[in-house]
Amino acid sequence: MLKYLIKRVLWMIPLLIGISLISFFIMHLAPGDITNNEASFNPKTSEESRQKLRELYNLDKPVIVQYGLWLKRMTTLDFGNSFASHQKPVFWQTKDKDGNVTKGMIQEALPITLMINVLGLIITLTLATPLGIIAARKYGLWQDKSITLFNFIGFSIPGFWLSLLLMYWLGVVNNWLPISGLHSINYESFDTWGKVKDSLSHLFLPVVIPSVTGLAGITLFVKNGMLDVFHQDYITTARAKGLSEHQVVYTHALRNALLPLITIIGLSIPGLIGGSVIAETIFAIPGMGKLFFDAVMMRDFPVVMGILTIGSALTLIGNLIADIAYAWADPRVRRGVMQS
Amino acid sequence: MKILAFLTNQFLKRNAKFSFIATCLALSACGDSSQNLSQQALNNLNKSYPSQSGGTLLDATIGEPSGLIYMVAGESAAGAISSNIFNKLLKYDKNLDLEGELVEGWQVSSDQKTITFKLKPNLKWSDGKPLTSADVLWTWQAVTDEKTRSPYASDFQLVKKAETPDALTFSVTYDQAYAPALDSWAGLQILPKHLLQGQDLHTTAFARKPVGSNYYKLDSWTNGENIKLSRNPSSVLGQAKIDNLVTRIIPDSSAQFLELMADNIDSMGLDPIKYARIIPARPELKQKLALYKELGNSYTYMGFNLKRKPYDDVRVRKAINYAIDKQEIIDGVYLGLGIDIASPYKPGTRWSNPDLKPYPYDPQKAKVLLKEAGFVDSDGDGVLERDGKPFSFEILTNQNKEREKSAVLIQRRLKNVGIQANVRAIEWASFISRFIKTGDFDVVILGWGLGLDPDQFNIWHSSQQAPGQFNFIGYNNPSIDMLLEQGRTELNPDKRQKIYHEFARVLLEDSPIVYLSAGYGLSAIHKRVKGIDNPAPPAGVGWNTYDWYIPEPLRRAVPGRTEISTN
Repeated sequence: MLKYLIKRVLWMIPLLIGISLISFFIMHLAPGDITNNEASFNPKTSEESRQKLRELYNLDKPVIVQYGLWLKRMTTLDFGNSFASHQKPVFWQTKDKDGNVTKGMIQEALPITLMINVLGLIITLTLATPLGIIAARKYGLWQDKSITLFNFIGFSIPGFWLSLLLMYWLGVVNNWLPISGLHSINYESFDTWGKVKDSLSHLFLPVVIPSVTGLAGITLFVKNGMLDVFHQDYITTARAKGLSEHQVVYTHALRNALLPLITIIGLSIPGLIGGSVIAETIFAIPGMGKLFFDAVMMRDFPVVMGILTIGSALTLIGNLIADIAYAWADPRVRRGVMQS
Repeated sequence: MKILAFLTNQFLKRNAKFSFIATCLALSACGDSSQNLSQQALNNLNKSYPSQSGGTLLDATIGEPSGLIYMVAGESAAGAISSNIFNKLLKYDKNLDLEGELVEGWQVSSDQKTITFKLKPNLKWSDGKPLTSADVLWTWQAVTDEKTRSPYASDFQLVKKAETPDALTFSVTYDQAYAPALDSWAGLQILPKHLLQGQDLHTTAFARKPVGSNYYKLDSWTNGENIKLSRNPSSVLGQAKIDNLVTRIIPDSSAQFLELMADNIDSMGLDPIKYARIIPARPELKQKLALYKELGNSYTYMGFNLKRKPYDDVRVRKAINYAIDKQEIIDGVYLGLGIDIASPYKPGTRWSNPDLKPYPYDPQKAKVLLKEAGFVDSDGDGVLERDGKPFSFEILTNQNKEREKSAVLIQRRLKNVGIQANVRAIEWASFISRFIKTGDFDVVILGWGLGLDPDQFNIWHSSQQAPGQFNFIGYNNPSIDMLLEQGRTELNPDKRQKIYHEFARVLLEDSPIVYLSAGYGLSAIHKRVKGIDNPAPPAGVGWNTYDWYIPEPLRRAVPGRTEISTN
């Protein structure tokens, strides 16, 4: 097992280099660089000043040389500084000689996005599992059909449209919830309980809407998993033994039906750290999706590369954990790993 | 000062992706009354109140500034906030005439090459240190320094010599008279030498905790959420009325509008739909919001690649100009909130020549001109040909909803006179690097946002055609070159005015571009904010933000969370 783990971790290094190489070249395939964003098309600015900028950022060198420079910095885990955002460090905070700490861009955005998406995933799972079980047990009956209908409505509704409607109804018409942002303007003046309440009320819509619209997929997975398991011999055996329906479903069937969920959660890790541009824009949340989108639009290469590298590293780690979890949960998989 | 202009500009620039949603919302909900404020509170908004200080003004910005040192940050989001914190030597008054901001006065030497500024006495930074000519000199050195990458350095690099004979005097000498100089000193925000000396402007922490001299100082900056300013008690220009300015960062304009409806922000820039349709249709919004419109220094145009045939032929350019119905674009795309222009200057200002009239819509004249230029429809397919080649081209534009819609209207009008046009919209960075820089285009729709100085040397002079320079249409007209050179060296405003009137006349006659429209900057401001000039003077609605006030009965009980007291 340990040998297997070490092998997997070592494999990640060439994989990451490959990913970064491809990302770097694709990024440079897009025309333009930081010096021709919209603000630069201003008659007050001169071509010389843009050329100066290009030289400073090594943008005048061949792409392969730029990649080499980037890779060299990466060996010391130096993700560099943003072009567009006053040279803010891309990944982690730095301290200047006067003791001023500048926070890293990913350092600030990642926890926000992670918190929202993990909360959303928890809500999705807690709702989808019982819904999937009910749909499987009442397969073909009205309960199943209404769950399917509900799910597909949720699936088909564009998230941004639902968001705006709910922002309008809950925020403008009724004034029950804040409309956008992460905190109230006077957040600092609240006591601890007030701060928690304020944060929760701001998080409510951004967390709940994606989890409702994401419900359909997971529910269907649970339902199909359950249906598959119901047809297995051991369930027939359990029923024949005269076990109660409750025991058959929750003790014997459910555990097997939930196995594929581990894969689903593993696959959702890139989404958990990626964030959503549209949701973050609408709700004014300074998260990863917005950060990445803005960086791409501004051709802020260090930020784009930083997010891609950290994103792919976390994804690879996530996949590894999912595989380990699978082996832990399923003896058949475990035996397979040992043998290979 | 620039907040509103900035908001509206930013707003117009963004593709209003979700604005149709807001429209649906507003229309479907027209019937119900979503009263955040009681009727009495709404009535109170229309009473008059004496001017008094205090209160908090909340507004929103679409983009977060990268830093608050404007000369290196460069973007308008930074300028909107830093202009409340820093001062300049000169400023434009209500009527767009220059006056002193940090200076009592200035003198131009008889050879027009040296300008001497006299600072006001006893100026102070908000940390209590004195502001002297040394700070001004240091700021000039910083902006022109080799190591500083400022997009705005070029004006200041023309200064041959800068001197500070004493603590209150600052003088600059140019190689030759340079008329836009005064305008450039009305744009440079003066930075404190004692805090920045020896630091790298591009990495200094000062950019996120600046110390200035203007009406406000920075209180806090929460990344991605808000920037809070409070009144600077030692402001060099006296005291502003409103205590706190809070700018929330809300990247989506629909979300901004919902916040405005819910009373959580006091002002925002509007698009024409919100200004002309949504707000007027909703009684409660109409009662609590005041709407403002002002012309900006910007216009949209259709430009030709003058190095290519047949656009080198003035008859062809004029024909296309006559063939396009500009009023239709203004009405259809901007809902009437724009005007037809005949010169590249804001109408109503001294630089705009009042005798010039825009090209009228006249398809017959267009057809005659095209025929003169040798275009005839010989095969009867409805498209004109010359030398066997059909007259067809691609109109390129960036992904900007207004420009795309304008292009479609133009396409139809051109078809009527026998020109086949296709429309293509391209993402900004690709557009600039693949088509504009390489000169690989026939016709583009773009806009110019201009400063207040009339000098447009960079855009029209024949020497400015290298890749990356702004005369990318390849305009080359010796009489225009001469007028631009004269206008740059003439500091007398009256003589200068004559030069630019003539410049605009020649330009209109030669029609190197088709002026499509100058759109109004639109904004809504909550009626709790008083002291705003309506209609806006030439300098714009935000020219006197320091005089705006929020009467105590109309203030928010808790800033940021609705409810206006009803007493």
